Amino acid sequence: MQSNTHQTGLVMKGKPTTALILVMPLLLCMFAPVVGADMDQEPAALAPEDIWSDDYINTIFPWAPANDRILQFKEYHTYETMKNRMLRLAEDNPDIFEFHEGMNGGTNARGEEVTANAYEGWFYGHSSPWMKITKDVSGGEYNAFVGDNGNYADRHDVMIVGNHHAREWMSVQVPMLQLEVIAFSYNNIGYDNDGDGLIDEDTWGDSNGDGQLDDDGDCLALSAEYQDSNGDGTNCGPGDHGVDEDYSEQFITELVNSREIYLIPMLNVDGNIYDREVFCPEPAWESCPSGGWRKNLRDNTFTGVTPLPDLQEQVDEDCDGVDLNRNYQFEWGAPLGATGPIVPGTCTPAEDERAGISNNDVYNGPVDDRDNDGDGQVNEDHVDGKDDDADGVTDEDWWGGNSEPETKFIQDMTEMNDDTGDGSSEFKATLTHHSYSELILWPWGHCTDCQSPDHYQLEYHGQQMADMTQYANLQSSSLYPTSGDFCDWHYGVHGSYCYTSEIGTAFHQHEDDIDHIAIRNLGLGFYIAEIADNPRERADLEIANISQQNYLKSPSQINIPEEGDIPVEVCVSSQFPYTLDNSLSYVEWRLVTPTRQQSDYGPREWRTADWSKAYFMVEEGASCSTSDGDNGTVLVSMLPVADDVTGQLHYKATLGTLSGGDLYQYPTDGLYNILEISYRKPYGNTFGMLFWFTVVAGSIWGGLGYSLRLMMTSGKDDIDLVDAVLEEANA
Amino acid sequence: MSDQFSGRLGLIFASIGAAIGTGNIWRFPRMVGANGGGTFLIPWLIFLFAWSIPLVIAEYAMGKRSRTGTIGTFRIFGGKKLAWMGLWTAWISTAIGFYYAVVAGWTVKYFQLGLTGGLVGDVDTTEVWNAFLNSSGQVIFYQFLVVVLTLGTIGFGAKMIEKVNVALMTSLFVLLFMTLFMAIFMDFKDGSLDGALFMFSVNPSMLAEPSVWINALSQSAWSCSAGMGMAITYSVYMRKDEDVALNSFVMGLANNSISIIAGLTVLCAIFAVSNDPLGTVTGGSSAITFLALPEVFAQAPGGKIGSFIMMAGFFLALSFAALTSMISTVELCVRNFVDHGFERTKAVIITGIAIFMFGLPSAVMWIKLDATGVAFPQFLEVQDHIWGYGLMFSGLFIAITIWKFGYQTWRRNVEEGTADPGLAGYLSVGVPAFREEFINTGDNDIHVGKWWDMSLYIFFPIGFTILIVSYFADMIRNTPDVWSLSNPYGLTIILVFWGVVASIFIGFNKLLTSLPLYRNVPEGADCDITMLPGGDDDLVSLASEKDSGSEMDTIFEAEIVEATA
Repeated sequence: MQSNTHQTGLVMKGKPTTALILVMPLLLCMFAPVVGADMDQEPAALAPEDIWSDDYINTIFPWAPANDRILQFKEYHTYETMKNRMLRLAEDNPDIFEFHEGMNGGTNARGEEVTANAYEGWFYGHSSPWMKITKDVSGGEYNAFVGDNGNYADRHDVMIVGNHHAREWMSVQVPMLQLEVIAFSYNNIGYDNDGDGLIDEDTWGDSNGDGQLDDDGDCLALSAEYQDSNGDGTNCGPGDHGVDEDYSEQFITELVNSREIYLIPMLNVDGNIYDREVFCPEPAWESCPSGGWRKNLRDNTFTGVTPLPDLQEQVDEDCDGVDLNRNYQFEWGAPLGATGPIVPGTCTPAEDERAGISNNDVYNGPVDDRDNDGDGQVNEDHVDGKDDDADGVTDEDWWGGNSEPETKFIQDMTEMNDDTGDGSSEFKATLTHHSYSELILWPWGHCTDCQSPDHYQLEYHGQQMADMTQYANLQSSSLYPTSGDFCDWHYGVHGSYCYTSEIGTAFHQHEDDIDHIAIRNLGLGFYIAEIADNPRERADLEIANISQQNYLKSPSQINIPEEGDIPVEVCVSSQFPYTLDNSLSYVEWRLVTPTRQQSDYGPREWRTADWSKAYFMVEEGASCSTSDGDNGTVLVSMLPVADDVTGQLHYKATLGTLSGGDLYQYPTDGLYNILEISYRKPYGNTFGMLFWFTVVAGSIWGGLGYSLRLMMTSGKDDIDLVDAVLEEANA
Repeated sequence: MSDQFSGRLGLIFASIGAAIGTGNIWRFPRMVGANGGGTFLIPWLIFLFAWSIPLVIAEYAMGKRSRTGTIGTFRIFGGKKLAWMGLWTAWISTAIGFYYAVVAGWTVKYFQLGLTGGLVGDVDTTEVWNAFLNSSGQVIFYQFLVVVLTLGTIGFGAKMIEKVNVALMTSLFVLLFMTLFMAIFMDFKDGSLDGALFMFSVNPSMLAEPSVWINALSQSAWSCSAGMGMAITYSVYMRKDEDVALNSFVMGLANNSISIIAGLTVLCAIFAVSNDPLGTVTGGSSAITFLALPEVFAQAPGGKIGSFIMMAGFFLALSFAALTSMISTVELCVRNFVDHGFERTKAVIITGIAIFMFGLPSAVMWIKLDATGVAFPQFLEVQDHIWGYGLMFSGLFIAITIWKFGYQTWRRNVEEGTADPGLAGYLSVGVPAFREEFINTGDNDIHVGKWWDMSLYIFFPIGFTILIVSYFADMIRNTPDVWSLSNPYGLTIILVFWGVVASIFIGFNKLLTSLPLYRNVPEGADCDITMLPGGDDDLVSLASEKDSGSEMDTIFEAEIVEATA
């Protein structure tokens, strides 16, 4: 007893006010039940100070002094600051970070001799800086071409690329924040990011499945005025204080231990420098409120296929540059969303540009006139995953694309990274950041009204990332078609699950918005790293989970029409990739009817028909609520049950997915629903009844009367008996 | 002095009493319900004329000449080798009688319940039914009551059988009409006469369903007692100059008339009050009668009095129908004993004890609950399962006898040179032989034409085959474990029982035909034994010429009891 009291005293001594505040309600409760009731009715709305640390409230990151505006994400990184920071982080975290600029070169996967300077920008001559991130990064295999250590056959590779387009500055900030977070979090298990005394209580996305990103409810506990800290109009949305704010350092550490992350925050160094230093004078969000420099700095004015670096040449803003995200080789060309190679000297003058005429912002680069495979023919096998010339080799002589130092860099990094030695790319998942529009995009981009073989799996992961950021999830070409983009190439050529994030709401987002937009998108890079082991299988497994949200309408939910087919409906989650293919999705039904014969003395006998199949169609204009309360699609199957059936309808449904891989049964295996059916046909009409009654009664009763009459008249003695009988009956 | 009905109507009433049974009142309505309403009446009418009446004509024609029960009739018409067929016919009827007494007991019990108001008010009919079936004492009591009433009637001979049938059948008509009017009133009151509408509306598409035809055939074959030996038995008591054909028409038409009335009564009543009338009437017979109908009758117009009249009236009519059928069933057995020299009283006592004792297991054994919690007597059901279709063979044996007679007549004529030895000769001499010889006799008011030959020679074998094949095929398809001997619903158990019984009877055939046979021939009847196919049987004599039956009794009592066991 004594020692307890003593200890309490010590605590009180440390922070008397806090302790008193904590104890007071308890004491009050003991005295007054009314107080307790009041507290139940009106939970106190909290202010940020009631919950979090000051640093967190002011978005001060723990890895840099509060006044370091760049490292606090209050100001944009330049090429220089970014590269210096990467160097510094690599120096401080040599066990997990290895800094690189460009690649060493050598003989690439296509047999070309490539030197390191092939990856240097045309104009300023810098290679793209990148960070190799994995545990024991200096160990593992050494890749002489790429120049990195830390290649492990059992670690899945993931590529995260920022800044294809020079003016899209947030696409540099997001990977840089990810880099900081990795550096800070690795082996820093149990760090309390928001200073509320809890650990890892709110990681990215809606991890507890309650429909709220704010898993721990701290943002929601604030009074309404504090709930939209990022000012985007959404209370407790992604990027707001208290939302997804305390992720698991353990998770990040394990990802670093099991993945090789290739983080390239600024691919288009040339363009980025030009945009910042020349094209959009500071502050860029004022000088270039809705535009900026997009492409790299290829000199299109007088050079042909292989321009030489020409430092004297000034950038011809009307003409120069290639859109890197139209320059990848898969389905390269300009039928959709890209402009074809321009004839030298025909560039759009600046005046026309101001008048709204395109200056070839989506120029996809020069045609490749070389005979890439040395067979004497040129451009006979376009990169599209097919063997166009039927020579047994696929995509070996392309029209163009990957002509730029930056795209060539991505190409060779991808194709020369083969840890397992199986000849295929290690990058099963890839992510490229862009801005802006608040979208998550995925292949295909090059065709409209088309679906890739992994459409629904791609859509599934896209939806996860869209949920995390509250961005829209779209197939890329549904926004607008683009040919030759990063993701079509990664997916189309290398089968990589590739996503494009369109961050934020402006190219040059105001610097006040850097921190919270970067935070809002921070989870994407970790999600893509997480699924890099087997994105397809992960999606399939999760789709299987989603399948549990679908349900077959129960007998009590089925409306039996007064006549005709009986509609059996399935409510399908909008996330579930159902197919209407008759061989995969169908309703099985059978009738169990009382036998026409029946035993006179025993229980009712039933005849069970064989199962038949009926097929689904989408019920237009109908919606339903899945078992998780989400919006669902109604699939309906009309069962041809005759109107004169009495008995039971047994029914069950099978739903296949578009990939055809899995079949889901409702209800689960072997069970079925039982619907009682009563006779629905009209019983008949009065005239028909009267007619048939007359015929039947006439023949039976008339026949009986006639026979009896005949019988009676044949023998007189019988008539006496009739009298006798009648007498007896009357008696 | 021969035992005889007092007049033509006596025979008619007795025959109608035999024909009308529970099959008309509880089976026909559900058959109409399950087989498409008015549609069902089409094949049902066709089969009345194509199946039931021709067979009854055949029975009357044979019985009128043989003047013996089923064993004697087969012995005389089919020859000594076929006498066992008569035994089969008698056995099937008796075996059905074992459990039919129990069922008749139920109907009497429900009349008692209706009389005492035990089914009106806040009563769960399922509970009443389950409680009744599970109280062995009560079931046995009512079974015993039925046996006593039946034997009491039969013990006094044809005159008493006639009187009881006249009284019960007349009452049955009255009672049924009473309930019919109430049922129609009920159905009218709820807006439309939908029960009658359903029962008399034809749905042509249903005619394409084989099961509808099969069920109509089975209904015709069962409900009219055609081919079961009843008409043979009762024709023993015919006066000498009865018209075979007219009697048959009256019996068949009267039977179907009652079916129509009962069908209308049950359907109108059920359609008047039930939400799912067709779901109700497509159940089994006893479920409809003992579970559904009391609920329906309880809602009869006129409150307690109305429901009392309907309940008591309907179940009394049902009891009468069951009782008269019971009488004919037992009489069929008793007649065979008497033919072989037993004293009537003795035969009645033996049969009575057998019917009661062998009925006991059906009354109390294996009372089970079905999936919906309704009790049912499984042993009884299995008995019905085994012996019900045995009846079909009784009909077949009658047909075989006629075919044999026709064939022999033709061969004899061929030998005598008066008939063509080819098919034409068979068709012109053999086929019509029985009809010309035994049906179209001088006593007839109406002439029976070639249609009867077509029925017996073409329609009957086809119909018989369809019925048996469809029944077995259905059983094989829908019964799990159908070939297992231990499955009481299986096929093997039926075939084993039939096989054993038929083998024993065939084995007994020699003994059976070595017994003297006494014919109950009235004065002046035109049926001397020498005119019949079995005229060379020395052991056949007239009952009036019988010296003393007592010694025969003692000699053969043991064997016959054994044979019937």
